[in-house]
Amino acid sequence: MKPMLSTDLNAADTTVEKAKIEVKNLNFYYGQSKALKDINLSLPERSVTAFIGPSGCGKSTLLRVLNRIYELYPKQSAEGQVLLDGKNILDRSQDLNLLRTKIGMVFQKPTPFPMSIYENIAFGVRLYEKISKAEMDGRVEQALKRAALWNEVKDKLNASGLSLSGGQQQRLCIARTVAVKPEVILLDEPASALDPLSTAKIEELIDELQADYTIVIVTHNMQQAARVSRQTAFMYLGELVEFDRTEKIFTSPREKRTQDYITGRFG
Amino acid sequence: MSTAQSLHQSRKRKNGVMMTLCVVAAGIGLAWLALILGALLYKGLSGVSLSVFTEMTPPPGDAGGLLNAIYGSIVMTIIGIFVGTPIGVLAGTYMAEYGRFSKLTTVVRFINDILLSAPSIIIGLFVYELMVRPMGHFSAIAGAVALSILVIPVVVRTTEDMLNLVPNALREAGTAIGAPRWVVIRSVAYRAALSGIVTGILLAIARISGETAPLLFTALNNQFWSSNLNAPMASLPVTIFQFALSPYEEWQQLAWTGALIITLTVLGLSIIARSLTGRREDR
Amino acid sequence: MTAVSEAATSSAMRTREATVRRFAVTDMVFRTATRLSAMLVLVLLGGVAISLVAGSWEALSKFGFSFLTTESWNPVTENFGALAPIYGTIVTSAIAILIAVPIGIGIAVFLTELCPRPLRRPIGIAVELLAGIPSIIYGIWGLFVFAPFLQTTVQPFIIWLFKGIPGLDSLFAGPPYGIGLLTSSLILAIMVLPFITSITKDVFDTVPAVLKESAYGIGCTTWEVTRRVTIPYTRVGIMGGVMLGLGRALGETMAVTFVIGNAHRISASLFAPGTTISATIANEFTEADGNLYTSSLVSLGLILFIITFIILALARYMLLRIDSRTGA
Repeated sequence: MKPMLSTDLNAADTTVEKAKIEVKNLNFYYGQSKALKDINLSLPERSVTAFIGPSGCGKSTLLRVLNRIYELYPKQSAEGQVLLDGKNILDRSQDLNLLRTKIGMVFQKPTPFPMSIYENIAFGVRLYEKISKAEMDGRVEQALKRAALWNEVKDKLNASGLSLSGGQQQRLCIARTVAVKPEVILLDEPASALDPLSTAKIEELIDELQADYTIVIVTHNMQQAARVSRQTAFMYLGELVEFDRTEKIFTSPREKRTQDYITGRFG
Repeated sequence: MSTAQSLHQSRKRKNGVMMTLCVVAAGIGLAWLALILGALLYKGLSGVSLSVFTEMTPPPGDAGGLLNAIYGSIVMTIIGIFVGTPIGVLAGTYMAEYGRFSKLTTVVRFINDILLSAPSIIIGLFVYELMVRPMGHFSAIAGAVALSILVIPVVVRTTEDMLNLVPNALREAGTAIGAPRWVVIRSVAYRAALSGIVTGILLAIARISGETAPLLFTALNNQFWSSNLNAPMASLPVTIFQFALSPYEEWQQLAWTGALIITLTVLGLSIIARSLTGRREDR
Repeated sequence: MTAVSEAATSSAMRTREATVRRFAVTDMVFRTATRLSAMLVLVLLGGVAISLVAGSWEALSKFGFSFLTTESWNPVTENFGALAPIYGTIVTSAIAILIAVPIGIGIAVFLTELCPRPLRRPIGIAVELLAGIPSIIYGIWGLFVFAPFLQTTVQPFIIWLFKGIPGLDSLFAGPPYGIGLLTSSLILAIMVLPFITSITKDVFDTVPAVLKESAYGIGCTTWEVTRRVTIPYTRVGIMGGVMLGLGRALGETMAVTFVIGNAHRISASLFAPGTTISATIANEFTEADGNLYTSSLVSLGLILFIITFIILALARYMLLRIDSRTGA
């Protein structure tokens, strides 16, 4: 049992649930400029957390710290602690590839690899597991079913992943992420490039996935955050302004800035 | 009013003259291509026969073929490509992937662009000093090395350009499922850039299959059949050079026929290469 | 949970960790291989420079600076000077550029402003195919087709035209051999034309559409837009293209070797045969007997290398400036 925080920032139900990820005193820099300022929050296991805020507020940056994908680029650095099951992933000794098998990510634009639908999924599995063709077939089918894509593609598994529609491609990417059995899934505005129907499907999918995974979603669409998430973090200018249960954020936020943002006064 | 009108007229007239000149310029450009191809076909076709591909280069005044020269060109081109391509692709990979943001990449790109346009005869001199002089004799392998040095900058340039066109989102996606960088490069980036990289290799083949200067004092020439890589070897361009400047009619005819063969090969390769990436350029 | 599944997950974790260690090694190997290949590019250029300096040492230490200012090239007395080839190289390249630049810019204007859309790509490709034709083809065509044509028609006419006009009559003095400096310059002009055209066209495409549209909007003609907007905006890029073409022309070997006449002297007339650095090397290198002769030829190569390096470096620098402006 953790003590109640006096600041009330982490006062959501999270205190009674097991925290999957805890962010402590996190600062992030693009070269000299500070993009995240002293972020503290904890993400409960097997539930959906949404990061919202105007563009440039740091919500995507925060997401990209969680699997250290920012390390692909020079001059980007994080300090502080990000604990995954109590272990600091910002530690130098953390193997990045291993980290990313535990924390999967889906991007704003669908990013199918230039290979067949089957290979798109088998590719990631094959990296870390030596399994038979029959087992692999099973894994691919399972992943596609999980992403609600199986019925649409089961007859054309050898077709290029690029031949699918945008919404299907995004579900393929989710299937690909699920197939490597991560513990956490990060979603960076996963529906912003999709039509309303595809968006609804993705949201439905997120709702189903939270039974097994800890999910973090970045979105600029407040209705979406309200629909899919259990808790919401509102960020502004690199700071975490408010973090609470979603209905609380959208009905009775504590901070004036949060209120202004969700009522559409800026952003 | 009338001055404004006459000013307008003179501006229009000037525009007409200049635009006509531009059309004429384009006509000149196309006319050269037509003239050169026309002469090649006219002079070269009459010498095309089976014996060109089945007989050796003849002694002065005799009839013969170009078999040993064609063979030598193919052998040295293949070795040149096989040596130069991996190095070029790897270097281009460093520049676009591991070293995208490093200072070394900036320097290598600059130097590579200079190598790309450096006179090929200089490369010939370099390989002469590097291999021919220490070995004490001309050899096919020296010729092939000279060609591979011409291949490298072409392949480096296209590999880097094509890998840079691969969206970063794809790399991030590969990285995000736990693939190490080299797997992302091999299975995602190379695959996405494949047609472009192949184009670069084809253009490199096109370039070296017509190169003469770097072979003149590396592979030299050989009147006879030779498959010994450690001995001088004939090549189509060097044979053309020798035969065209000779006073013998049979040799001159063979030179024209050889020139036609080279040109058709090179143009064919460039057209295939362009059609591979054509759609992308169109936008 | 049960102990069995705990053990299963932890053994799966162990294999993952082993895989990760293997990945780290292969990634390091691959990374090192790419890095070494990239550095090999630098080593190549360095090697070229070093080998040329080493090979030319004997001649340069014997003749010193006078190598650059001596016209004589005498293998019998072993007295060598580079002045005639340097002169020939610079004159032919300069004339080639003077001819090719206006035509190249004209074609670029035609392709970007005038050409009907469906024709744009085929014509662009045709011009670029010209660039792909090997130089020996230009040489054989120049020797057997172009030079005789010049000899029988163009040159006699020009000689007749400028006869008695001071200056011009010695610049275009007979007899019309067909081959010579002017013929080489014309062939070189044809050869560098596609380079200049395609780069000019590329930099023309970097002009923002709004800029041209606003000029058209106030009633400018196509020529005025080209002259007042497009060309000033892309001047640096065009210069880069011209320099790149110049670099090509300076180092071009085979085409020139066929039609220059290979005479080591400096004549006032452009119709006279001459020689260039690369043509001299191509013609004489394999037949050069004696170390001093060979070394003198390598010295010519070194001079060519230095000249082209400077020109090409300038070209790249200028093109880089255009690139960084457009953020391409």
